[in-house]
Amino acid sequence: MSVPAPSTPQLQTPQTDRQGRRISFCLWTIFSLCALSAIALFFIPTFIIRPFRYQAPRALFLAMSLRQRAPLGTLIAALTCFVLAFALWRTASRWRKALLTLTLLVVTFSAVVARLNYFEWMFHPIAGPQFLAQADSKLDPKEMIMSVRLGGDARAYPISQMAYHHILNDVVGGVPITVTY
Amino acid sequence: MLHFYLAGINNQNFLMRDRETGTWWQQITGKAIYGPLQGAALDLVLSDELTFGQWRTESPSGQVLAPVAKYTKEYDSNWEPDVAKLPVVISFPGTELKSRDVVIGLTIDGAARAYPWETFAKQSPVLDRVNGTPLLLVLGPDGKSFRVFLRRIDGHDAEFFLQANSSADPAAQNKDWTLLDTTTASQWNFQGCATSGPAQGKCLARIPALKDYWFDWRNYHPDTTVYKR
Repeated sequence: MSVPAPSTPQLQTPQTDRQGRRISFCLWTIFSLCALSAIALFFIPTFIIRPFRYQAPRALFLAMSLRQRAPLGTLIAALTCFVLAFALWRTASRWRKALLTLTLLVVTFSAVVARLNYFEWMFHPIAGPQFLAQADSKLDPKEMIMSVRLGGDARAYPISQMAYHHILNDVVGGVPITVTY
Repeated sequence: MLHFYLAGINNQNFLMRDRETGTWWQQITGKAIYGPLQGAALDLVLSDELTFGQWRTESPSGQVLAPVAKYTKEYDSNWEPDVAKLPVVISFPGTELKSRDVVIGLTIDGAARAYPWETFAKQSPVLDRVNGTPLLLVLGPDGKSFRVFLRRIDGHDAEFFLQANSSADPAAQNKDWTLLDTTTASQWNFQGCATSGPAQGKCLARIPALKDYWFDWRNYHPDTTVYKR
């Protein structure tokens, strides 16, 4: 880590110059660490919990613990990054400015997506489930359904629909259930 | 009351989280595997996998989940054969079955057993015993629905067999489809209730069972046995 030589060295004592370098070095280090944390908090769980990939038990545990902390963690890290980038901006060279900008973009992306559930972009949840009397259903009699009967209420969940939405929160006969496929 | 949402995937069995605590739950077990409620487990609600036709005859006042208009194009009636072609990420070479073989899995006092669907469908009704518990696995009149019962009538073990179906009319199949037990010689329907004979009005106790892929069942039940006819 080096800072470009000041353009007017004759005005500064070697003492303050060295101090300035040290402070700048510290700020850059903290910036890098914060940026790495924000990126890791989002990308490591995303990478581990990929569909069609093997999830080892310890990797899954790591993914869940990072994901659990990601919404708050990425926010703190991203805010710190922005404050530090602001402080470093004036003295930074053109390359460093580009690096700061790029890093801030990736960090912002991590902080935003860590608060979203991208699994629900693929499989949209059913917001307010509607039900039909069985006589009004256009379902083919050969189609498979999952069914429950609770407190005298019978409900059918067509598998073709559940295989897409995967999960549904419902209350049947007063019992709160979650239907999964 | 908790509300669950899809949150990830663990070797092709999904992970859900609840909005209230953020705890992570495994779909197949209903167990909280990480987070504030770790160690807790959801109660399993008895459910069926039936054809709509079968369910309709049993539940005249039942309600059906309506399709969401926005996503009807995404629904895939051919889902099962399509998924069967997808790759798997865990496999158990050297076990009796192939990864995507469909099984009926059940657990009796901790002892798990898998019934290969092909074997079951050919042999139904299947009479078996797991951990001393006498079981009846039966394929429905539609050839697609299934149920598992405790084959015990008033405390006595019973054997069941399918009464020959004389009707060729599919509409009458459900009505004519009958099981007979050898203990009381009563007639039983697919809901496990005696419709005539000395046991009339009695119903067999249900056993929860899961239709699953072999790799998934075996992954969560490493000590499972496999039914052989």
